Amino acid sequence: MRMGLGSAAVVIAAAAVAALLWLRSPPVSGQTDPYQAPRTADGRPDLNGVWQAVNTAHYDLQAHPARPALALVPAPPRTDVPGLNRATPVELPAQAVRALGAAGGVPAGEGVVEGNDIPYQPWAAAQKKENGEHWLERDPEIKCFMPGVPRATYMPYPFQILQGVDKILIAYEFAGTSRTIHMNTVDNNPTATWMGLSRGSWDGETLVVDVTDFNDQTWFDRAGNFHSDALHVVERYTRVSPYHLMYEATIDDPKVFTRPWKIQMPLYRRSEPGKQILEYKCTEFVEQLMYGHQGVVDPATGQVNR
Amino acid sequence: MRYRYLFLVSLAAATTLAALASGCGAAGKPTAEGTPGSSSWTQPRTAWGDPDLQGVWRYESAIAFERPADLKGRDLLTDEEVAQKEKQEQEQQANRLSGLEGAAVGRRSIAESPIRGNEYNSFWQDHGRPRRIVKQTSLIVDPPDGLLPYTPDARKAEARSAARYGVGPYESYLDPDTGERCLTDGVTALMWQGPNGGHNMIVQSPGYVTILHEEYRDRRIIPVDGRPHGNIRQWLGDAVGRWEADSLVVDTTNFLDRTNYEWASIWTRPTETLHLVERFTRVSADTIEYKITVEDPATFSRPWTASIPITRLADDTRIYEYACHEGNQAMPNLLSGGRADAAKRRASSK
Repeated sequence: MRMGLGSAAVVIAAAAVAALLWLRSPPVSGQTDPYQAPRTADGRPDLNGVWQAVNTAHYDLQAHPARPALALVPAPPRTDVPGLNRATPVELPAQAVRALGAAGGVPAGEGVVEGNDIPYQPWAAAQKKENGEHWLERDPEIKCFMPGVPRATYMPYPFQILQGVDKILIAYEFAGTSRTIHMNTVDNNPTATWMGLSRGSWDGETLVVDVTDFNDQTWFDRAGNFHSDALHVVERYTRVSPYHLMYEATIDDPKVFTRPWKIQMPLYRRSEPGKQILEYKCTEFVEQLMYGHQGVVDPATGQVNR
Repeated sequence: MRYRYLFLVSLAAATTLAALASGCGAAGKPTAEGTPGSSSWTQPRTAWGDPDLQGVWRYESAIAFERPADLKGRDLLTDEEVAQKEKQEQEQQANRLSGLEGAAVGRRSIAESPIRGNEYNSFWQDHGRPRRIVKQTSLIVDPPDGLLPYTPDARKAEARSAARYGVGPYESYLDPDTGERCLTDGVTALMWQGPNGGHNMIVQSPGYVTILHEEYRDRRIIPVDGRPHGNIRQWLGDAVGRWEADSLVVDTTNFLDRTNYEWASIWTRPTETLHLVERFTRVSADTIEYKITVEDPATFSRPWTASIPITRLADDTRIYEYACHEGNQAMPNLLSGGRADAAKRRASSK
């Protein structure tokens, strides 16, 4: 059956419309999406709910291939096969994490950094690489320390936004950490802090949170991305559907980076009925790791058993 | 106003202490909503109609937890006794200011300390001003004798715990109490105790009342949407709330059993049979009457109830980050000390 010129034109036109619709359809950010969030009693976009990131940013903010573990050692070469170098094609999990097998592997990820480049100063790029190589000893997550901002947002744990008028709480499950977003005027913190000081304001549909007063102890991910106490984060939370928030964070730290840089990701509503933030009091889980090397004193003999 | 002058004197100490202890966000200014007992006061409400309990709250009074022996059989103090206690409280507050350094600080008990008000650990409790003296003779109002109705076993556990606290031995990291391990001091006393005076921020959102307790950053997100209890055991249990007239009633069950840990006070130690009922009633602009009823056959021979006045602090009061575990130098130091003691014992036994 031959197609007339007229019907071909209709097919092409339909395809063009479909292509246009497809191009328009993914809601990539709050700016292009006309979605209007439901309102709270005081007329603000309602951000209440339990939210969670579903990505691999907690492993590495940047694009990364899959690998067998976070802590790796070089595979020993096999030189006994003439004409072949039969070393294992990938590095091997370090002894301390080898027993985890595939459960200790790192899934690949496209990354969440705009342009995929984190603009480290040269010394800081070297520091980041070293951090990654010493992940087991250095990552504050392993010791159950408060994760800092923005890391708390995309750890593989849910968090809840509890939206008051003057204060908005973010209750993270990991390490029972909370943040107060001050919608009214507050003085700076008397000292540097793990989670910083959060000052919020509304920009139309978006909650903008300006975060300062950090210490230099937290990381951005398990890959060793880090910052100094000059860290300044500006976060933007925008409802883009009944089930999504778009999260954006601009990260500036003149002691570590050459320019500000940005991450962006959707956050998903945990829609299970009655979903709650449960306890993850991990201090109890890491005491053996942190203090166990001191052993136990035998009260009868005074001997220390390790 | 007698307290105003003392507040000004105290402010310097409060400022100094803010650097030491994270909990001194207090100020003596009256809150925006008026003064206690003012007849024009009406229950404030959230935009969705619930009683509004929001703000930063702290227990500011000096009522004994259990009824002191010399007040046996009496619910209330006389006016003369109140005046006497006020005088004593003001002296102690002044002593706290005078003794922030020097040999007088750091004695373990009131008996050992030459400056009353300045004994071991007292700086953690500094309020920046004298505490309120009221006629109530004990926080415990039931049983009528004002005493904890411990079972015989729990009383033994309490004696053991009191003897160990701050003394040791520290054979393992499990030997310091749950507070020293930066875990929690227990939910029972969350609203009125705490090493920094028990600052609590209440934030309400539709269907939830959230209490953020400064110490140990203990946090309770209490649903008030009629849901039943869940089935997951937690350190702070599983809390569900409801409004009864203008009172928030919080019912908490499903506690984790951590009775194999050391607790500074056995009465704050949860077991799996613990059942707490708390009642928060805002009775004036700056006062919540907080009543807690504790039922736990594993520790107490009968339920007991405490009635605690909680004070709303100035509008600009904040609670601060409590990075306890993150900075727990005390733990490795206690353990090293424990090992040094053990080495001495070994040497002397040879």
